[in-house]
Amino acid sequence: MLTLQLLANGLALGAAYALCALGFVLVLNATGAVNFTQGDMVMAGGFAAIATAAMLAPLWPGAVPGLVVLPVVTAGMAVLGVIFSLFAYFPLKSRPPVATIISTIALGIVFQNAANAIWGPEPRAAPPLLDASLVRFGELAIPKQSLAVIVVAAALIAGQHLLFSRTPLGRKMRATAQDRTMAAAIGIDVNAMIALTFALATALAGAAGALLSNTFFVTPSDGTNYIVKAYIAVTIGGWGSIAGAVAGALLIALFEVIFPALPLIVPALFGSDALGWLFSQTAASILLYAVVLAILFFRPQGLFGELVQRRA
Amino acid sequence: MPVRTARLPVVALAAACAFAAAGPVKAQDVNVPILVPITGFLSIEGTSQRNGALLAVKNAPAGLKITAEVADTGVAPEVAVNALERALGRGKVQAVAASMLGTQMLAMLPVALENKVPLVTVSGTAQITEMNNPYVFRFFPGDDVTKVAHVKYAVEELGKKRVALIYQTTAYGQSGRTFILKNLEKMGLKPVFEEALETSVRDMSPVLGKAKAANPDVVLLHLHGPSTGLVIKQAAAMNLGLPIVAGSAMHQPHTAHLMEPAELKGVCAETSASPVSGGSPELDGFLAAYRKEFNAEPDGFALGQYDAVSMVLAAAAKGAKTAADVQKALATTTYKGLAMTYKSDGKGNMAHSAMIICYDGASRIPKIVKRYENITGVL
Repeated sequence: MLTLQLLANGLALGAAYALCALGFVLVLNATGAVNFTQGDMVMAGGFAAIATAAMLAPLWPGAVPGLVVLPVVTAGMAVLGVIFSLFAYFPLKSRPPVATIISTIALGIVFQNAANAIWGPEPRAAPPLLDASLVRFGELAIPKQSLAVIVVAAALIAGQHLLFSRTPLGRKMRATAQDRTMAAAIGIDVNAMIALTFALATALAGAAGALLSNTFFVTPSDGTNYIVKAYIAVTIGGWGSIAGAVAGALLIALFEVIFPALPLIVPALFGSDALGWLFSQTAASILLYAVVLAILFFRPQGLFGELVQRRA
Repeated sequence: MPVRTARLPVVALAAACAFAAAGPVKAQDVNVPILVPITGFLSIEGTSQRNGALLAVKNAPAGLKITAEVADTGVAPEVAVNALERALGRGKVQAVAASMLGTQMLAMLPVALENKVPLVTVSGTAQITEMNNPYVFRFFPGDDVTKVAHVKYAVEELGKKRVALIYQTTAYGQSGRTFILKNLEKMGLKPVFEEALETSVRDMSPVLGKAKAANPDVVLLHLHGPSTGLVIKQAAAMNLGLPIVAGSAMHQPHTAHLMEPAELKGVCAETSASPVSGGSPELDGFLAAYRKEFNAEPDGFALGQYDAVSMVLAAAAKGAKTAADVQKALATTTYKGLAMTYKSDGKGNMAHSAMIICYDGASRIPKIVKRYENITGVL
């Protein structure tokens, strides 16, 4: 029972991480550069959810549910993504990828300070998607928010997959990501596709922020934590691999939640101080980064093994 | 007595004539730069410091012409040192309201010593008052004071013996842990469970599950604000069923606002002060003025810095004209502030009291349930 409860918590956290990592890899594929602002976009999505809920409050009887807020935030963040690309990518697209990387770092700092100036440094919580109650399955009690996060994130990931695999627009975006020069040669508006990719990536990050900020709060400096998670997820899954990014994010979250809880799942591990430390949150963190290092050494293409061109 | 009363108007009139003959009285210049972290990871506390200091300037005794320029020190020690050197370079400074970030204070202390200018702060870092520097004054109780209240309340008032301790991996968390263990040991106790959390940990269910499995009768927290909020919120969601006595981060109003009042039921915390709880006409006045001035809720850091700057200004009003005069006043006099009575222990530790607040589940405003006065015996 406890294992299922922890699994649900881990999946909810991992699903939100996956949205962030997915956007990260989409921009990586489309531009060849790492977008270090992706974590700050998660933070921005959290604050956007809080601001949207406040704006809608006079029009809504009772508390505004996050399910109403989420589409507004996602759409707004998509627009922000296009604007972001106009500053961070397009003026620098003919320069080496490192210029774009630096510009995303700079704009990330701008976002952090802007959020600090607008909302202040205090942690805040966005509204839950439905409500804050628990869903009970016999003795198992899971927060409705966790289940809602899993369902919404899964729907968004599936939607992204369908867009890329089943629609002409998605095929154009994939073609652009695979080879910009060839895509342009066959008449695809490459700039429009890249702008759309930024929109999609930022919308996914915004959705992640709206989903995470109820249970885990949001502060202006949260972006750093999320970008590290996205980076590790993509490293584990394989640079450029969309499925790998999702799988990597889920693995990180399950590792964060399940590994420190192993003594609860296997009671024989509970007891001695040494074992207690081995399964502490600190040890879990050390082990996670050790695993990432091992992957870099022994399987640099990541678990999903997609070979891509060298990127900055 | 009647004779003295009758003479008062005459004396006042004579004094007024004397002042009129001498021309307008020149207000005494006082320069108290406010160098605090307004951006970065300590921006919440730094903003409280700034607000408290500015309010003290606004409520300063009559007859003072005060300059109190604010500079953001961020989180880097060199930025704080640059800000201090710039402030000192602009003219005579009587005292500095200085950053609560320990690493910045440690970097600023040699500059303060060289220029013989007192720094008044609410930094909790124990080391700053262990450097034999007579120019540092801390208006916030350190862990050696607050953790006595923390542990005593859990053990003596709640009657709990099986303690689960959850603390942060940061310097703040480690320091709190050391003093909690020391105080538990004095009572012949040892935690039945303890674990450190990084500030990036989001899901608290593993640590709460393990804590509960160790069969404690109370959970002590020594965490930063967001982690405190996450633990308490998730403990309520999983129906932990154990009393929680948190560290001082819980008393900050923004931490309480992360949770519904019902989620706070039965949660207590140690703190130096809880301005939102009121308790005296002076504190109520401070609370109203703070809300009006900054449209925000004050915390213990704001009140501590308010008291610190108020003590500096009171010294100036009593004739302290130079930094040396102010330093002497801070080092040797007793000051009754709004949060508590302050007196240096000879090292610059001015605060010696703490309190316990508890939430009733109906409101986010805590009630003061226990005061621990003069824990160090300095007063």
